[in-house]
Amino acid sequence: MPPSHRGNAMTGDRKPSAINNAAPTKASRTKLNRRKFLVKTGGVLAAGAFGAVPLRGWAADPINIGALYPSTGSMAQIGVGCVAAAKLAVDMVNEAGGIKSLGGAKLNLIVSDVQSDTTVTRTETDRLISGNKLSAIHGCYASALTLIASEVCERAHVPIITGSSSDQLNKGRTYTFTPFARASQFAKAQLQMAKLVSEQAKVAVIFENTAFGTSTSNGLKELAPGEGVEIVMFEPYSAGFTDASPLINKVKASGANTLFSLSYLNDLILIVRTVKQVGLNIAINGGSGGFVMPDFYKNVGKAAEGLQGVAHWNHDVNDDAQKVNVEFKKRTGEFAFEYAGGLVAQTFMLADALERAASADPKKVREALSTLDVSSGFAAMAPGGKVKFGPDGKNVYGRPVGVQWQNADLASIFPKEDARAPLMKT
Amino acid sequence: MWETLAQAVINGLLIGGIYALVSIGVTLIFGVVKIVNFAQGEFVMIGMYISFFLATQFGIDPLVSLVVSMPVLFLAGVLIQHFLIRRVLGPNDMPQIFLTFALSLLLLNLSLMLFSANYRTVHTFYSDEAWHIGGLYIPVAKLIAFAVAMALSGLLWVFLHTTDLGRAMRAASQNRDVAMLMGINPNRVFAVAFGTALALAGAAGSLLMPFYSAYPFVGQVFVLMAFVAVVMGTLGNVMGALVASLMMGVAESLGIQFVGADSGLIVVFALLLLTLAFRPSGLGARRGR
Repeated sequence: MPPSHRGNAMTGDRKPSAINNAAPTKASRTKLNRRKFLVKTGGVLAAGAFGAVPLRGWAADPINIGALYPSTGSMAQIGVGCVAAAKLAVDMVNEAGGIKSLGGAKLNLIVSDVQSDTTVTRTETDRLISGNKLSAIHGCYASALTLIASEVCERAHVPIITGSSSDQLNKGRTYTFTPFARASQFAKAQLQMAKLVSEQAKVAVIFENTAFGTSTSNGLKELAPGEGVEIVMFEPYSAGFTDASPLINKVKASGANTLFSLSYLNDLILIVRTVKQVGLNIAINGGSGGFVMPDFYKNVGKAAEGLQGVAHWNHDVNDDAQKVNVEFKKRTGEFAFEYAGGLVAQTFMLADALERAASADPKKVREALSTLDVSSGFAAMAPGGKVKFGPDGKNVYGRPVGVQWQNADLASIFPKEDARAPLMKT
Repeated sequence: MWETLAQAVINGLLIGGIYALVSIGVTLIFGVVKIVNFAQGEFVMIGMYISFFLATQFGIDPLVSLVVSMPVLFLAGVLIQHFLIRRVLGPNDMPQIFLTFALSLLLLNLSLMLFSANYRTVHTFYSDEAWHIGGLYIPVAKLIAFAVAMALSGLLWVFLHTTDLGRAMRAASQNRDVAMLMGINPNRVFAVAFGTALALAGAAGSLLMPFYSAYPFVGQVFVLMAFVAVVMGTLGNVMGALVASLMMGVAESLGIQFVGADSGLIVVFALLLLTLAFRPSGLGARRGR
């Protein structure tokens, strides 16, 4: 979306010139046409003047923040929630008086749909940066898309702050900031959670035979001995199966007391239902992503109660997060999921950086972000409660939070410092 | 060991019932109209969405919505046969293949546009229930689906063997030209066959809804198995497709159980290859032919 002032000036310019060209063809009505011409050109001048004033920018210019999210395509469900959260965050910053060091300048959110597609992400990021004077960007939630957006931002020297967990985002980048736990930390947290259920954790790992499933499961396998967790079953399966029963039969035979299922939503729903049908008494850890979304509970229903997972943010981490949750619920009807809440925190981190930079220049905003150090307020609402970026753009205090579905809501249960509810035994 | 084996067989038979509904539809169309309907899976998907929306909008149980999804898809089948398929029937197979394939792509992308790629489930009171007998368990939703699938297959068999229209369909399937010479109206027979096949796909969709998620690509999951069963059970043979579907279900289940959770399809295709090697026209073919 181009800035509205510029857009108005352009259309104002075009219309009268068309009439102007048409005028000489009707010679008998020159006088009238001349008057018309004057009126129209006067209008153009006026429109131009109106358009130009805010563009000069002597007053509190709005600060443009780009938002890259997939609001259509296969990742749209989470993407749409992200856009709602991004708007909420900007409203919160603006209602609190905007950026004071810039004369109370308001944040102006420019949303771009990356259509769940890597190619579109590249062109949209390019377009967003070249078409607007941006101070910073946030997005895209999905790692595959964020990696590409980050590359474009690095080249254009525009800082990008993201909730994506891919460790690759912290390699050789200077304009990319990741305030939340990394993928490598999630695996460790999951293994530690297995010990909450039983001191002698026997874990069955089932994973879909795709890049996602294989890489994540290997991470678990490597870390398990160090965490004192025994893996009694390690089995790939074909994603998109019609029946989970045979697989669960195998889990039953393995004697595991915890099940790690590295699956996308559809398979996970089948797995959870089948475990209930078999009457298998086993703790299930569904990981992150689709599992910690409001939709998961809607799909699975009561069978989801007691299921565990990991998230980079949860709405009960502190009072500020609770406030955000209430407001988000009012707007969307759902609780603030990890990416939504994390996004509000990210926007406040940007606001903090802008405040200290006292400039909308993206390079100066990057400088200010790299020296960010907050431990209170909305910018610090994250597991761990503190944000400070290391040279790799990673929050040195970032850690995941272990969650459990309790009464149709996600409760933080791990680690002890972040636990807001006791573990519900299933 | 025996318990695990018995459980695997039960699981396989139950899901095989659903495969049967899809494959019987494919084989019926092939037998009578002599075309391969690549879009059969998409009609299962449509059946699922019909049940899903009836359940979420009007609170109708997915199993009850069978009485809506089947007639709607029957009608759709008759119309598709009349306005589309009829025009491409001829000596050349290519237009038919392209037509049903295009139909499949159209329906798939249309549903992506209308319903998005999200998974949608209906939660009924029996969705998570199971009967426990000894060390074995039987999921209620799947048992109902299996029972209804078998009943519908039985009804179809009775229809094909006892009614005039049914006999006409079998006659057309055995030798179309001679059947025409005997005064059978091909358009009517074809329309009923196509409609019936789609109604079965719709039934499969409604029966799946209590325990499986609806999403635009869901048809592809089931149609692959259906095509294997159709080939294995001899093209055009309804009974063959039914038996082969149940076998495929059991083979897949045993494969996952005893070979590896990602090897279900390997066992299925190995079985198909063996069948084709030793009985090239499939299990349902009459001896001596």
